Order: sequence, then structure tokens, then C-alpha cells
Amino acid sequence: MGKQYQIIVDVYEKIFRGIPELVLILFIYFGVGLGLGFPPFKHAFTAATFALGLRSGAHQSQIFRGAIRGIGEEQMMAARSLGLSRLQAIFRVMVPQTFIIATPGLGSEYSLLVKDSSYAFIIGVPDIMFWTNRVIATPPLDPVFPYFAAAFLYILLTFPLATYLDMWGSRKKKQLGLQEGEG
Amino acid sequence: MILTGFLKTVQLTFFGLIMGLILGILLAIGDLYGGKIISTIIKFYVEFFRGSPIIIQLFIFYFSVPIMLNIRLGSTIVGFIVFALNSAAYQKGYIKGAMESVYKDQMTAALSLGLSKVQAIMYVVLPQAMRIMIPGWSNEFSSLGKSTAAILIIGERDLTAIGRTIAFRTFRFLETYAFIALIYFIFISIVLKILDIIYEKIKIPTIEISA
Repeated sequence: MGKQYQIIVDVYEKIFRGIPELVLILFIYFGVGLGLGFPPFKHAFTAATFALGLRSGAHQSQIFRGAIRGIGEEQMMAARSLGLSRLQAIFRVMVPQTFIIATPGLGSEYSLLVKDSSYAFIIGVPDIMFWTNRVIATPPLDPVFPYFAAAFLYILLTFPLATYLDMWGSRKKKQLGLQEGEG
Repeated sequence: MILTGFLKTVQLTFFGLIMGLILGILLAIGDLYGGKIISTIIKFYVEFFRGSPIIIQLFIFYFSVPIMLNIRLGSTIVGFIVFALNSAAYQKGYIKGAMESVYKDQMTAALSLGLSKVQAIMYVVLPQAMRIMIPGWSNEFSSLGKSTAAILIIGERDLTAIGRTIAFRTFRFLETYAFIALIYFIFISIVLKILDIIYEKIKIPTIEISA
């Protein structure tokens, strides 16, 4: 793609990697939603989802770029020389391999996102943290067990899938003889 | 007001990063050279701190731990403890990866030159590992710097918390949060740039880290 497009992508990535998720959520919910009165972001859930999505997009673009670099130009040239068009080469040859190489990165991005989603409770989205605090605020006012239970729930959400993705990715890679991307 | 908040954020970040580095080195050494039992304990530790959100860790250390141990902990102390422990869990991974990539031949060479195992780790493996783990370290710096924002939930007056107070007082949500975000962005970018420059100066050309 062109130079200008690259600069836009670069700035986007840098900005969303340099701002805390929490500040981003507060900015979108209070700043854009309530301050500017942009209707969709007045809804806490939408605002939080949008903020997390923007941040995740910045991370994932890096993961995929690393993966695409890992595949290399040769595959593209080989596909083109076999008579595929550029689009066909991208969608039939590059993209499927990209996803396989990107699995470890995607797995860790997934668990990062699950954990970051806990910030949403600060603007009042009823997620695990919200209900944990609700449970703690009701008698018998036990502030120990619910937090550990919630932590366990989060680990349960992240660990198995991230591990599975990792294993699946390395198995596939071995099958296809791909090397590691620089994600 | 913003300045004090900013200093608090900087303080939390760097304290967490440095304590995390020390703990992370210990964890990595324990994992590499300790027995199976130590390895398993470390694995659980890392899984807990990497698998659960920072908010829960803050709540646990602010509300649960004091009750279990019958002690009192201020919000700043809790912040220091949680960010150090959390960062240690992440840094352990980077350090271990870096140590593994200098580990095998160098360790054999060092041992054959008559160094003890501890000496070999201290003088041969670790210094090189430190040099090649800087990219991992800058990742950890930016993610830790951003997670310190979460400390506002236990009432600490960091940059984000102060921003929130100002926003609610002036009702200028958009400008305030944008400004706070800009401060974080500049702070993190500058430190990342510095780490980058240091890395370019001291990196070991032949060893690439695969983590």
C-alpha cells in the first residue's frame, strides 16, 4: 500500500499502544459518549466494547504483520507465477498461512483482551467484576472468597483456549513446515 | 495536581518494573535450575498473575490479604506489591527466554573454565540475557505503565484518578481525558525510544531472542 496509508496505520498503532485501556474506556464513554453526546457511546457496554476493539486492533495489526512477514515474498511470487491474481494469491495463499503463524500471538492477545474487559466494570458494565463486588457487598460481607473465585473464572476463560491455540498452531506449523513469524 | 498524579504513575511504573525485574530473575533461575516442585510452584504463580485481571489482583491485595493476614495495607503499598508481583510474572517469561538463548554452550564453556554454576549464571548467562531481553522489557514497560491506571479503583491518586476528578469537577470530559491520554502517550513513547536506543547500542548481534 501507499506511504500515506502506512503512516496512518503507524500512528494508529502507536497511539493505541501508548494509552492505558482504562483511560481509553473513560475517554470514549465520558468524553465522546456523554461529553459530546454521541448516542451509541452513551451506552456503557458499547463504549467499552468499542474502546477494547480499537486497542485490540492496534495489537492484532502488529501480530498479523509479523505473520505475513514470516511467510515472505517467495510464496507471493510463487502463487503469482502459477497464474493466480494478486487478490487470489492474498486470499488463497497468504491469509490461510497467516492465521496459522499468528496463533500464538492471537492466543495471548485473546487473554489480554479478556483481562482488559474487566476495566469495563468501572463505567458500570455488569461483568464478572461488577457481580463480584455485588456479592461482596451483600451479607456475609466476605471479601476473600469471591475475589479468588473471580480470579479463577478469568483464568478459566483465558488459560485453556490460549494453551489450545498455542498447541494447535505449533502442530499445524510443523505439518506445513512454516517458520515462526516475528510477531 | 496533574503533576503529582503523573509522578505517582511514574513511581508505580518504575518501582514495579525494577522489583519485577529482580523477582523475575529469581523466578527464571528457579524455573531453569530448580527442581520440579519449584518449577510447578512458579508455574502456578505465573499463571495466577498472568491469567487474572490486574483489577482483581489489586482488590485481593487491598481487601482480602489484609483480612487473611490481619494486617493493614495502604493503597500505595498495595500498588507497589501488586505491580511488582504482576510484572515479575511477565518478566520471568522474557528473562527465561533470554537466558535459554544464551544458555547451553555458554554454560558448558563457563563450567569447563572452572566457574561454579552460580558464578556462571551471575557472570556469564545473566549479563548477556539482560542485553538481549531489552525489547521484551520495553513491551513490559508499556503494558505495566498502562496497567498502573487501574489503581484508581482502590483509591490511589494516580494520573487517571486525578484526571477523573478534574473531569467530574469541570464537566469537560473530552478535553480532560484526551489530555490525560496524551500525557501517558508521551511518557511511554519517550521511555520506549530511550530503551530502543540503549538496545541498539548494547545488543549482541549474533543472538536473537525467540520469544
